Amino acid sequence: MQNLVTGIIMLTLTAGLYVIYLRNNRAKLKKAIQKGSKNLIQNSIRIFAIFVIIGILQNFLSKEAVSNFLIKFSGIKGIFTGTVTGAIMMGPVATGYPIGKYLLENGGTVALASSFLASWVMIGIISIPLELKNFGKRFTITRNLFAFISVIIIALIMEVLL
Amino acid sequence: MKKLLEDYMIECVICIIAIILIIFNPHKVAMGLTYAVNMYVNLFLIIVSVAFLSGFISEAVPPNTIGRIIGKDSGWKGILIGAIFGTFMVGPTYVFYPLFRNLIDKGAGINVIATTIGAWAIKVQWIPFAIVLLGWKFTLIFNLLIFLFAIASGFVVAFFSEKDY
Repeated sequence: MQNLVTGIIMLTLTAGLYVIYLRNNRAKLKKAIQKGSKNLIQNSIRIFAIFVIIGILQNFLSKEAVSNFLIKFSGIKGIFTGTVTGAIMMGPVATGYPIGKYLLENGGTVALASSFLASWVMIGIISIPLELKNFGKRFTITRNLFAFISVIIIALIMEVLL
Repeated sequence: MKKLLEDYMIECVICIIAIILIIFNPHKVAMGLTYAVNMYVNLFLIIVSVAFLSGFISEAVPPNTIGRIIGKDSGWKGILIGAIFGTFMVGPTYVFYPLFRNLIDKGAGINVIATTIGAWAIKVQWIPFAIVLLGWKFTLIFNLLIFLFAIASGFVVAFFSEKDY
């Protein structure tokens, strides 16, 4: 629903920009539409491929299996395992929270739950190829490395504060 | 043909993996594919908008316009715009990557884009849901830390990769 509303707003905005700024410039309009169509095909293939991996991963690794695997770890090992698992798993933010709740309720440490959740929302191994293609090596490596370190720091701070 | 293969190497690998998995467990793969189609349909309008917005930006927007608003030298204003945009937008970040690349080519600051991607981890719409599940203390501290990370990430990533663009 949210996606639909955002989609409609964005599409209206885009159409508005085309009408307002390119109405009187046939050549530019044609070029922009051509480029847009090319983008659409290219992006669609790449994005769909990511959805396929996420879909397959979700079906082969159930939420229960992941929770039961994670709950065995605590301390530094917990933070590390949580971070790596969260980076591999991907999906909407909302599906990660119930796993976090399960971990906290069943004796998992705060550090374990927060490292898993933080890594879930901040790092996505699956989308790294896409990031590389768009932004290049240095951007991708620094950004993800920094995110990885930050996840560990966030987990440690959470453990101390809660 | 060779260039096409090179361009879509990763997608081809995914396709091969999916085919291999079909042999082992066709049911699960079918469910995964259904998920992918659902997600694509669900985000279709956003995907179309991103594609054509990129087309518009690269053809019709003069470089200095973008640079003025979210350029390298736009300072805290640019960073804040990026952070707020990232916090409120829906859909996966990677759907927006091509658009972000386009903005960088038109003068957007690396720090602003990295901050936007970092702030994407916070989803304001889902915070009430998170509070119900995880408690307000956990949720608020957690999201505050992510916000700080997003801002810091902008500076760090820009420092190391600015010369690439």
